Amino acid sequence: MNQEQQLKLQAFLDGELPEREAREILSWTQRDSAAAALVAELRNTRQAMAKAEPHLSLPESREFFWSKIEREIQRREPATASAPDVSIYAALRRWLLPAVAVGALVIAGMIARFNVPNATVETVADADTPTVETTLANSDATTYRDASEGTTLVWFSAAADASPVPNKKPTAIN
Amino acid sequence: MSGQNYSSTDDESLVKAARKGELAAFEELVFRHRDPIYARAFSMTRNEQDAVDLSQEAWIKGWQRLEQFHGESSFTTWMTRIVINLCLDHLRKQKRHRADSIEEMDEESGGVERQMPVVAVNPTAGLERAELRVKIDAALAELSAEHRAVLVLHEFEDMEYKEIAKTIGCSIGTVMSRLFYARRKMAALLADMRREI
Repeated sequence: MNQEQQLKLQAFLDGELPEREAREILSWTQRDSAAAALVAELRNTRQAMAKAEPHLSLPESREFFWSKIEREIQRREPATASAPDVSIYAALRRWLLPAVAVGALVIAGMIARFNVPNATVETVADADTPTVETTLANSDATTYRDASEGTTLVWFSAAADASPVPNKKPTAIN
Repeated sequence: MSGQNYSSTDDESLVKAARKGELAAFEELVFRHRDPIYARAFSMTRNEQDAVDLSQEAWIKGWQRLEQFHGESSFTTWMTRIVINLCLDHLRKQKRHRADSIEEMDEESGGVERQMPVVAVNPTAGLERAELRVKIDAALAELSAEHRAVLVLHEFEDMEYKEIAKTIGCSIGTVMSRLFYARRKMAALLADMRREI
């Protein structure tokens, strides 16, 4: 019996052959005692294994095993976790409001610089020293810049005409 | 974690809760199915520490891939496939670090198993199930990792030749050859054990 025939007998036992071929092998095993003996041996082993899979228990306590899994999950979480849920309000507060504030300041600065001919710069200094600008003669906005710190502060007067001492509130831009 | 007690919750609900990030639900799944997952890892590797490590890794992968589990099979079956793949990767890495033995080369070419005499008397007839388990376990330990893997996938996981070939990454012919050798070797080992009694 060659190897191909042996493997055919095994495939017959495992139900892996087409019906016609399976009938041929069955007929062969009925005529050939060596083929029948080999099929019987393979069948005995298969049946023994089918009802005798070893039952094993994990040799670690539930708590210990889980603690290792939990720790590893948490360690790997940043790389694999999906983005956390962020509410619309939180997103607005985090990104939109600062963006609006910056935009407003830029627009205010551009209006002050280009549209008003009486604009004067009260203090001019070199790039390393802080500068204070009043962009309009009757302006309600004062800008403080510190290039070394990368900081810009702008004061807006809430009621410039009504109060002798302007009530100015600083806004920081870094 | 919500601190909820999941002990009476079914697997499907536990998976749903775990998908939402509920670690306590996943812990319950680990608690319920840790033994068969470990057992499969051990049957493939025959090394207790490797089996513990691989089953642990399987659970971590299971957590990370929960979104891919759609319930086509049971949760245990799904987890078993994960641990099997990890074991096969592990065995491949091990194989790269050792030279194949002459016996294994002969097995692959289909030489050794053809010379074994057929075991005419069923060596497991009349054995109690517990005794049979011990003998099967001992005989499995004698097989090479490659032959044991094919036998375990076919006999314990009920995989067909084609599925085993796909899982292992070899041809159907190799699966048939390895399975044939593994069965014949098992029969010879079981017969030897019978004679030793």
